[in-house]
Amino acid sequence: MSFRKRNIGLSTGGDRTASVNASAGLQQATSTAAAAAAPETTPGVRPSPDDGRPTTSTGTPSLDNILAGHGGLPIGKTLLVEENGTTDFAGALLRYYAAEGVVQDHRVHVVGMPEQWGRSLPGLIGPADAVDDKQDKRKGERMKIAWRYERLGEFGAGIAGSRATSGDQSQPTADGSPDKRPAFCHAFDLTKRLTHPSITNLNYIPLTPSKEPLFTTIHKRLDAAIASSPPNTVHRIVIPSLLNPTIYPFESSQPDSVLPFLHSLRALLNTPGVRATAMITIPLSLFPRASGLVRWMELISDGVIELCPFPHSADALATSGAATSHEEPPQGMLKTHRLPVLHERGGGSDQNVGQDWAFTLSRRRFEIKPFSLPPAEGDKEGQDGAVSGNMPKKADLEF
Amino acid sequence: MPTQPPLPPLLAPYVSSLPPSSLIVLSTVLGAQGNWLTLRYLYAALNASLTSDAALSFGEGHNRKKQKVVLVSFLRGWEFWRAEAKRLGLDLARLTDKRQFAFVDGLSELFAGPRTTPTPSTPQTTTQTTPPSLAPSPRGGPVPQRTILPNRSAPSPIPARGPAVAAPAPFAPVAPSAPPAAPASREVGPVKRLHLSGKGPAALDRLEKDIAAVVGHLNGRAAASAEGEDDSEVLLVLDQPDLLLAATGPGKEIGATEMTEWVMGLQQYVHATVMTLAADLPLIHNASAAGHQMPTPLETEHAAFAIGSAHRAHLVMQLRDLDTGAARDVSGVLRVSKGGAWGQSDNTDANGNWEEKEALYFVQRDGGVNVFGRGE
Amino acid sequence: MAPTNTSHRQTHNLLLISKLLSLRDTASPLALVLDSLEQPATPLIKEYIRRAKLSKVHITFVAFETLKPLEGVDAFVAARKKSPLEIIKAVNEAYPNVSTSGPSRRRLILIDAINPLLHARRTDAQFNVSSFLSSFLMPHGPPTASKVEASLVVTFHQDVPSPPLPSPYTPSPLSMLTYLATTIIRLHSFSHIMAQKAARDRSLVPPVFGLEEELDGVLLGRLDKPIGNETAQGVVLELEHRRKSGRGVLEWYILPPASRYPPQYAKEIVTLLDDHPLYRPPEEPDFGAGEEEPESTFELRLTDRQRRDREGVVLPYFDAQQGDGPGEGGRILYDMGEEDDFDEEEDEI
Repeated sequence: MSFRKRNIGLSTGGDRTASVNASAGLQQATSTAAAAAAPETTPGVRPSPDDGRPTTSTGTPSLDNILAGHGGLPIGKTLLVEENGTTDFAGALLRYYAAEGVVQDHRVHVVGMPEQWGRSLPGLIGPADAVDDKQDKRKGERMKIAWRYERLGEFGAGIAGSRATSGDQSQPTADGSPDKRPAFCHAFDLTKRLTHPSITNLNYIPLTPSKEPLFTTIHKRLDAAIASSPPNTVHRIVIPSLLNPTIYPFESSQPDSVLPFLHSLRALLNTPGVRATAMITIPLSLFPRASGLVRWMELISDGVIELCPFPHSADALATSGAATSHEEPPQGMLKTHRLPVLHERGGGSDQNVGQDWAFTLSRRRFEIKPFSLPPAEGDKEGQDGAVSGNMPKKADLEF
Repeated sequence: MPTQPPLPPLLAPYVSSLPPSSLIVLSTVLGAQGNWLTLRYLYAALNASLTSDAALSFGEGHNRKKQKVVLVSFLRGWEFWRAEAKRLGLDLARLTDKRQFAFVDGLSELFAGPRTTPTPSTPQTTTQTTPPSLAPSPRGGPVPQRTILPNRSAPSPIPARGPAVAAPAPFAPVAPSAPPAAPASREVGPVKRLHLSGKGPAALDRLEKDIAAVVGHLNGRAAASAEGEDDSEVLLVLDQPDLLLAATGPGKEIGATEMTEWVMGLQQYVHATVMTLAADLPLIHNASAAGHQMPTPLETEHAAFAIGSAHRAHLVMQLRDLDTGAARDVSGVLRVSKGGAWGQSDNTDANGNWEEKEALYFVQRDGGVNVFGRGE
Repeated sequence: MAPTNTSHRQTHNLLLISKLLSLRDTASPLALVLDSLEQPATPLIKEYIRRAKLSKVHITFVAFETLKPLEGVDAFVAARKKSPLEIIKAVNEAYPNVSTSGPSRRRLILIDAINPLLHARRTDAQFNVSSFLSSFLMPHGPPTASKVEASLVVTFHQDVPSPPLPSPYTPSPLSMLTYLATTIIRLHSFSHIMAQKAARDRSLVPPVFGLEEELDGVLLGRLDKPIGNETAQGVVLELEHRRKSGRGVLEWYILPPASRYPPQYAKEIVTLLDDHPLYRPPEEPDFGAGEEEPESTFELRLTDRQRRDREGVVLPYFDAQQGDGPGEGGRILYDMGEEDDFDEEEDEI
């Protein structure tokens, strides 16, 4: 028994390390040079403006922008989206993520959802003009508004500002990308249905009971699907509502069941040569953050985002907060507990850390912007200033 | 921001020259990860040994033994550590090659086992590049030609598939830094992948045996080497072994005591041990806060393991988020405290001249770390 | 507090701790040391070993979490991965069975931490702490010629959470241990005790340290130099002892750090906490009996003569009450004293 185990371990160890070396040698340059070259070949992957590692879009431009300056989800990273309450904002984020994958011809693996889920992906509007428009406008605006206000607006918006130090270098690539390369991120319409030739390519991994533990089966199928696809494929793993007892059997919430799965998933994504990202959502009402299990799930994930929707009857906020601005009222708060790469390195140094975020889900986009309580009623001017996302639009209207 | 020295002066006494058979516990939380500090330990041990020849010739480092490091990582892969160490100027691949460093991979196959599914990837690249690296594999045995290639193929199929324009680019910068095939091949030996199979202490024993083999490999090599440096000290770095506990738990008959004994077993092979643990509030306090609700076994075991380890530690380095919320120029707070085992030995030298301290730290984008007192 | 009481405590209770720590008269067969991360038991254990060495007691150290034997230990039993029975066997074998050496030898068995054993999966449901511990004190087997008087010192980490009980009706391991133990010593860090006392003296909420802070990421709160009190070193022992008569004794002591006295020092070094100069600073000798005046930088006390003079002063309103008509009265009537410097122009009387 032990001999056999050992033998397996050793031989594959040999293999793997050979390949590790290969990558060790080759990928030494990856972070700078190779990464820059790689995305040319694959749509939907671009080097991070921060350190050049390949990143891919989450399908939500403003979510891409808060991911520690990488402008997207770095390849090989997992993002855990937690949601309080019974709303399904996280589901919308997942749909954008999946739809973006479909549009970019990435291989999308959906765990535990029927095929209807894939059919309900939001329809494509086009390259993320929403964001690009906005950035262009801001550029034009630089002429018009005084320097200190312009700076203020940029900081507040958090979109351009998220690139912190390397912001200026990153912007040409970000803005220039639509011209030179296929779009990195697209805009989708939640009320429409996505029709795309590759939508049939979605790989559904159902939760069928079998002799094996459920998560072992899922992992094996994911592994097989990734291993059997052409090497350069970019994969997206979508795991909606993990551990939700209406989908998952109750024993799956045992730590010795779900944590090994997440660990293996992490291992899979970290396998050299595998180019995949994963987005997982989990209902916090059933599995509160204060529990050790959820904390471990967070510790295994690379990025952790918590959505705290406002109660539905928040009319007061709705009227006071956004009546004057042309924005929709924020529908909830978004907290970033951990950001990919940044926190693994030690944290800090990102200006978005500690920022309060609010999110708004509209028909056309899921927008994340800095949260600020609206000023007192009647202070219209101050209010316009405070809702900073408002600035470009307002300017746009007036000039 | 000016570039920082790899070892911030405030940190230096705590990371270098660890007393014999000591245990350093490095506790982290979700928002304040300790990888940068782990790397400082690697740096302090390995960099010193890089320059030890020079130090010896000046007679300064007479009591400084050659240090070697075995890094066992349960949450992070080789690629991460290699890249991050590079930023500090440590070439782990080369050190592995020189038998000063060994990486034990507790991530890739811990639960899932080796990937057995054949990859239909690019047979021609396989034949081109891999045989030289596989041939001298000391323990390989019959090496199946399968799982290798996902990662090779990342850069290499580019010429084969054609669409890339910048294909030669990735190869160019590599060549000067390290000849790709030769040192890489010798690295095969020590990179060990752990796999947890079975239940209870027996499963842990197997892991212990695997790690001990790697430690022995480093040591044995040193004894055999012509330089005769058989008195080298091995520093064992365990990166988040608490994952093992969390992911197995009572269901697999592994609890805090079994984990502690496992770590103690590993300690016996090495000079000093550094262990990172999660000390997040839910993991530590849910078990002790009486009355609020029944703690889950995961929480109880984790708290027992973490607190018990702190009792066994000589030094506890605690990282946490800034109490006042995140800031742009502070990554977190580092509190250095003496652990429960501090002062067990009467020898003051063995206790180290440590002083308890609390400081702030900031990890810069370039990987440099600034450690400073409050208000500095 | 009556002085008689203090002196009684000083003599009796100091004698008691001295007896307990030096294992004289087998005062306590089972001592339970409750420590925490804030004040680990190491200094006390080392003190036990030091005293045992002085009185030539055989020391067996049962190590559940220690790797290297402490200095001065005669026998080191690594309990790692051993079952309770194996541990008992190893401990009993550790004692040299030279029955000729003396009429009655004493032995000290130290257990560095009982928690791992209570937590271990290998201890089955049948495992019973009390029988485990008593088997050290009363070893089975043929009664040897010389009766060995064994004392057991068991350390329990209070802050390590206990596993769920096998049955909701069984007592928890800690309550079991405290019930069995004849002596319970709770350890506190002196600097923390000082900080808490300082807060209580100001009617503030006493601060908590380490795990009790319940901060994310904080395991230990101990810092070498608590603010302002560099000399507040030492271990505070909260002793609870059950006498053979059944009477209980509760006392607080302080064990100074080992660096303050030489290892061969035979006199008692432990003092009552109340006698520690930092904890209860010596009171200033009283001036008047009982009459306490507020301390101030001003001299507020009066001499007898001053008091008499003050009483002699007739204040203006006394005069005014006599109703001599408007304009009259309200003057200060004052008899010049010798120390008064009379000025004709300024002082009109």
